[in-house]
Amino acid sequence: MAGPLVSAAMKAQHAASGPEVAERRGQIVLEDISRVFAADAIAVDRVNLVIHPGEFFTLLGPSGCGKTTLLRMIAGFETPDSGRILVSGREMQAVPAHHRPVNTVFQSYALFPHLSVAENVGFGLRMRRIARAERRTRTRRIMELLQIDAFAGRNPAQLSGGQRQRVALARALVNEPEVVLLDEPLSALDAKLRAELQVELMRMQKRLGMTFIFVTHDQHEALVMSDRIGVMQRGRLLQVGPVLDVYERPSSVFVAEFLGLSNIWPVTPLPGGLIETPLGRLAIGAPDPARGTAMIRPEKIWMYGEGGAPAGRANLLGGIVREAIYMGASTQYRVELENGAPLLVYDTNNQAAERSWRPGEAVTCELKPENIVLIGA
Amino acid sequence: MMGISLGKSTRRSLLAMSLPVYVLLYAPLLLIAIFSFAPPPLARGQTFYWYADLLHSPEVIAAFRRSLTLAIGSSVLGTALGTLMGFGLYRYRDRRARGFASALPSLIIYTPIIMPSLVFGISELIFFSFIHGATGLLGAGLLTMGIAHVTFEAPFVALVVFARLSGLDPNMFEASHDLYADARQSFLHLTVPVIRPAIIGGFLLAFTLSIDDFTISFFTAGPGSTTLPIYIYSAVARKGVSPDINALATLMIATVIGTGLLQYAFTRNRTRKLVARPGD
Ligand SMILES: Nc1ncnc2c1ncn2[C@@H]1O[C@H](COP(=O)(O)OP(=O)(O)OP(=O)(O)O)[C@@H](O)[C@H]1O
Ligand SMILES: [Mg+2]
Repeated sequence: MAGPLVSAAMKAQHAASGPEVAERRGQIVLEDISRVFAADAIAVDRVNLVIHPGEFFTLLGPSGCGKTTLLRMIAGFETPDSGRILVSGREMQAVPAHHRPVNTVFQSYALFPHLSVAENVGFGLRMRRIARAERRTRTRRIMELLQIDAFAGRNPAQLSGGQRQRVALARALVNEPEVVLLDEPLSALDAKLRAELQVELMRMQKRLGMTFIFVTHDQHEALVMSDRIGVMQRGRLLQVGPVLDVYERPSSVFVAEFLGLSNIWPVTPLPGGLIETPLGRLAIGAPDPARGTAMIRPEKIWMYGEGGAPAGRANLLGGIVREAIYMGASTQYRVELENGAPLLVYDTNNQAAERSWRPGEAVTCELKPENIVLIGA
Repeated sequence: MMGISLGKSTRRSLLAMSLPVYVLLYAPLLLIAIFSFAPPPLARGQTFYWYADLLHSPEVIAAFRRSLTLAIGSSVLGTALGTLMGFGLYRYRDRRARGFASALPSLIIYTPIIMPSLVFGISELIFFSFIHGATGLLGAGLLTMGIAHVTFEAPFVALVVFARLSGLDPNMFEASHDLYADARQSFLHLTVPVIRPAIIGGFLLAFTLSIDDFTISFFTAGPGSTTLPIYIYSAVARKGVSPDINALATLMIATVIGTGLLQYAFTRNRTRKLVARPGD
């Protein structure tokens, strides 16, 4: 553990900042954080972010956008080239990885090959010199929770990818730290186990009040699990906000597209709350739209069969179904509008299967003004 | 380990090709062993005649002792140095290096390994006599042989250790720090146990390399530092292959095979223990 000098210094610091620290337990502050590997490889670019104590924060972004690098700087394996990192109110610059109140679930698992599953899970507790009895109970409990207790005596080499991933999860969570960094921790699991562990993780995170920074490529997973999400692109944090905000009101085309399919067009504003789009003239909710881009999510579009459209509504567009992709709970339609513009529509399959539309059928689509979102640029 | 399944004819032709190779590899060894158990006509029935003969030769006993001392001493030192070398090259390698710089660690390790032992031996000889001429220290003898052996063994050990480390997930070391281990704990609880098989394998390799080395030993030996291989060479040079040389060679073969088996047994036991160990 800590040398006597270091622990004394840490305790002194704790005592000095007293209740204030308690309040910020598990808080993460990133101030202007950058990491530049080479002039043409800026992995993290001036990121500013405050993650609240006990929050489930998800980082989303395409491969290579800097998610892992950001986590590595918080964990202490990588030094920022500029900026400050504070964890639980404490500046981290001079704090080595083994003194940070942070545990990591590595993207590559990074299990210890010479130790059994149980010994892997108990490693952190052993390094902290937790008594053997407590170590054993905590290790067993977390292994049961993650359904790996059956392999307790095995070596990592004798496990499947998904089993290894759960060992990596258990090895971090058993320490019940203030902050857990999870780098795509469920990516190797089958759908059912994944859904089960999503629930378990959320439950455990809330129960113990841990702060989670969770990296995933799965936007569905991000929407289901997170309090807030942050979307990254080429090292920059583009947008941060509650799940609903980011999904419903993306601040850029990139964010809109990253969180799911959408219909996006460049628009020109017209007086009277109208916009000129490739689909034609549309009414929108906002009074004075700026020039830029507009978006509507496919599930926000209502579709009616021949003559079924309610009269007198705004933004009713006729078209022909060109493609129907059945996806179980919903069907994805590609509609060609009368002026030739394409429109993507999801429709819930809440009718008898025979009632869904087939390619070639004429339909009317309703784009309610309040569902059209202006993205700005 | 199961390979891909091959057709019957493919398997047959592979066997036909590999059989002569195995015969050429093992037949001479077998022949020597058989000859070593053939007593001279006068001593019919004494299977171990030539072995007993060896035991009665003080020269052979002394050479054997020397070889063993040299092999154990040099491989202990060579393993220690080689381990540090392999660990250092791994730990301080520049992962972002390109081209020549990225090849540097392997170059440092491989150059002494691929160097012909004749060249190695001669350069050691020249080096030692230069030092001796200049300072009067390091006269040719067991010490110079020992230094030369340590020098050529260390890169082999380094290679084994480096290969083991390179095959591991580098995040593993970070994971140990993430789980509260400081540098000392990480070295003790992770690095050492993880490379232990490589260290032991490297030691046994160094031992076998040392015990049967002739070329380098020959050039660095001095008066009174005759090891077994040198003894065998000079005996053969003097009076041709005599039956007691067969016995001696057989003993050396047995030593080398024994060392190999030891290495195998060790790694196998380890794996089994790891599998069977119940959760903590
Ligand atoms: N040690 C390094 N040296 C040089 N470049 C690096 C290094 N580590 C990462 N990078 C670069 O930094 C960028 C960000 O990498 P990072 O691993 O953070 O991406 P990521 O968002 O985690 O991607 P993924 O989703 O594929 O895991 C990448 O372009 C990568 O090539
Ligand atoms: Mg990553």
